Amino acid sequence: MQHDPHDPHATDTNVIQLPAPTAYPMVMSLGIALMCTGLVTNIVIGILGLVLTLWSIVGWFLQVFPHEAHIPVAVEIEPIEISTSRTLGRRAPASEKPRLVIPVETFQITTGIKGGIAGGIAMTVPAGIFSLIKYHSFWYATNLLAAGGFVSWAGASDAFLSEFHLRGALAALIIHGLTSLLVGLLYGAMLPMFPRWPILTAGVAAPIMFTVILHSGIGVISPILNQRIDWFWFFISLIAFGLVCGYVVNLHTKVRTAQFRALPFAVRAGLHTDTFPVIHVDAQEKKDLDHKDKDAQQ
Amino acid sequence: MATQTPVPAAIDQTTETAPRRLVFEVLQDWISTTDHKKIGMLYIGYSLVFLVIAGFEAVLMRIQLAFPNNHAVSPQAFNRLFTMHGTTMVFFVGMPILFGFGNYLVPLMIGARDMAFPRLNAFSFWISAFGGLLLYFSYIGGDGMYGAGSAPDVGWWAYAPLTAHAFSPGHSTDYWTLAVFLSGIGSVGTALNIVTTIISMRCPGMTMNRLPLLAWLYLSMSLLTFVAVGPLSAAQIMLMLDRYLGSHFFDAQAGGSAVLWMHFFWIFGHPEVYVLVMPAFGFASEIIPVFSRKAIFGYTAMVAASIGICFVSLSVWAHHMFTVGLGPAGNAFFTLSTMAIGVPTGIKIFNWLATIWGGKVHFTTAMLFAVAFLFQFMLAGLTGIMLSVAPLDWQLGGSYFVVAHFHFVLVGAILFMIFAAFYYWYPKMTGRLLNEKIGKWHFWIFLIGFHLCFDLMHIPGMLGMPRRIYTYEADRGWFLLNFLVSTGAGIQTIGTLIFVYNMVWSYFKGEIAGPDPWDAWTLEWATASPPPAYNFATTPSVASRRPLWDLKHPEDTDGQYE
Repeated sequence: MQHDPHDPHATDTNVIQLPAPTAYPMVMSLGIALMCTGLVTNIVIGILGLVLTLWSIVGWFLQVFPHEAHIPVAVEIEPIEISTSRTLGRRAPASEKPRLVIPVETFQITTGIKGGIAGGIAMTVPAGIFSLIKYHSFWYATNLLAAGGFVSWAGASDAFLSEFHLRGALAALIIHGLTSLLVGLLYGAMLPMFPRWPILTAGVAAPIMFTVILHSGIGVISPILNQRIDWFWFFISLIAFGLVCGYVVNLHTKVRTAQFRALPFAVRAGLHTDTFPVIHVDAQEKKDLDHKDKDAQQ
Repeated sequence: MATQTPVPAAIDQTTETAPRRLVFEVLQDWISTTDHKKIGMLYIGYSLVFLVIAGFEAVLMRIQLAFPNNHAVSPQAFNRLFTMHGTTMVFFVGMPILFGFGNYLVPLMIGARDMAFPRLNAFSFWISAFGGLLLYFSYIGGDGMYGAGSAPDVGWWAYAPLTAHAFSPGHSTDYWTLAVFLSGIGSVGTALNIVTTIISMRCPGMTMNRLPLLAWLYLSMSLLTFVAVGPLSAAQIMLMLDRYLGSHFFDAQAGGSAVLWMHFFWIFGHPEVYVLVMPAFGFASEIIPVFSRKAIFGYTAMVAASIGICFVSLSVWAHHMFTVGLGPAGNAFFTLSTMAIGVPTGIKIFNWLATIWGGKVHFTTAMLFAVAFLFQFMLAGLTGIMLSVAPLDWQLGGSYFVVAHFHFVLVGAILFMIFAAFYYWYPKMTGRLLNEKIGKWHFWIFLIGFHLCFDLMHIPGMLGMPRRIYTYEADRGWFLLNFLVSTGAGIQTIGTLIFVYNMVWSYFKGEIAGPDPWDAWTLEWATASPPPAYNFATTPSVASRRPLWDLKHPEDTDGQYE
């Protein structure tokens, strides 16, 4: 069988063409390195580097033009047997009930976003009431939230925080808006996992959890907020967020997940209501499977 | 049902009777080689030499810091030690050793005969190697050919204005600049080769959806290298112009900006961490499934997380500059972006754990290192999240806490996975297995030394011990901790020496590996160990992500599940 000596991919049963070895890459890198060394030592070394570089450029060029240099490498084919001594095992289910219930339906991402926006707006009501009652200004709560982002506001007075500041309002809007969206998305993702008591989950459990987490970490994130925050009103605000966000999320229709497609046809068609089919394994079959599993993959 | 073509390899029978070659012939063979496997081994061998040198520098530093008011080395020598240690470990150990593994493995794993540009590949290696030699030549010629030598002493990040002529006379800083610049050329060349090879030289059937995760990680790492190394090289040129042609890029007194250098450096420096850690992710993604006897969990999510890390890591650099004073917007942005990178990284950790979960785990030495990597990388990530919070960074930045954090990444994650990679692929490279018993001694001794050293190193940092400090007073309460940290460094040295002994001993007396000693699933195990020059006698064809699984289990091929 003939092959083109200039075709690097040409192969037959005896010969494979591979790129020819060449020292020019090494010479060129040495030349460039010496030119650099010449800058900090002596110009003679730099000139030597330049000569080597030019020489290697020519040599390298001739290596690849008009045809890339290749060498034939002799091949003697001896097939390598690809096999394994391991056998396949089928793992028996740990129990007759599935350990993990993955929702077959969930909310769309936009649902979480809408919930986050609604919850975020609702949260401003108790926060605003607190601000008005205690400091006679709606802007106190806004500026307090924003103060974590401004180092110069660390020692700001209550009077300063009660005034309107455009950059404070913008910063608070960004912080509050972004956080509300993220928490809304979390609600959208998590509520289908706890379907039994949505009000308890969204309106009580989640606010308690967030309050505890923030209570332990707020000193690091925003020392000024940590000094002045009123935890009672903060908790009330979170409950407002949770109830409204959870309500808005639950208003939306769920969509089917990839898990749904994995269900048996009878379940998908609505002919059977058992959405989590249980794999029944009788005692003898389980014993066989366990035994097989031990043998497998040894 | 998927089908696949067997992947026979060739064994050159003539080598058994080939006459012993002269030293000169061997040298010529290695100097002129364009074979990706030999270039890979050149990269690895050269990196190991520099690893020993930079490790020795670390030990000297730890001896100096083991006792208060110690003067084991001079303050000037100490400054050179931490500069050379950092520069060497990042540019002449970390990057080249990982490029070495990439060079060796990527073409084999995708069924190619060589890299896309074999000559550029050789050039990239040699220019990086000469860069390393130039850096260490500074010990002789740092002040110029006719003066006494002195190595660079400006720290591995070489902040302005310390690098200005007024504060850094002589040539020591120039050696640093030029050496790192040469290394950058080599890095970009190899990255270009890896990207081109993966994009255009995959064997039939190997779609991007079937690409081994290691190749995906090397692709991401190489793309990141393009973006990250460019600014550093540009900054090196600007620094040379400042020092020799009177420009003022980084001269604040003449209208330049020292902070500009910091931006240039860290827009390289932080992605560089991911350039180093992504190949380690690749090693973990190959080793953990094989020794858990399961396919990788969440392949698509792993790929998406890799690409996600690639992009997000480009937007976090200024968290290294919180103490400069970025202003509220900068602080908030870089805090959030740094925290965000924990999401794709967390996905990876969960997927590796899910791969191990329920598997039939074989605790070989490679797997032990991989499991340790999982825990240590998670801890490194947690301290990283702590440091991403600007107010906390104001307290801990520039302290030994930061040193401990990034050594948890570089040693606890990357070096551990490099060790794992050696235990896993050494048989492919040499044809002999590394000794498992010695390997386990290596693992446990190194693990103890690592945790003694770097766990405790966090504490003096929290107590206020600054990094780069030459010595300290006895009444600061740092002695015992520093002594234990130094002891840990010594134990790690013993562990490393055991590893070196294992490599040498196993090369001559190790058990013969055969083509597929781990019963693995990717293409490199379908050819002889070590592979012939042409890798595969016939071009393989694949039908799933685990082509060797398909061949070993034709009754239950992977393609039907992908």
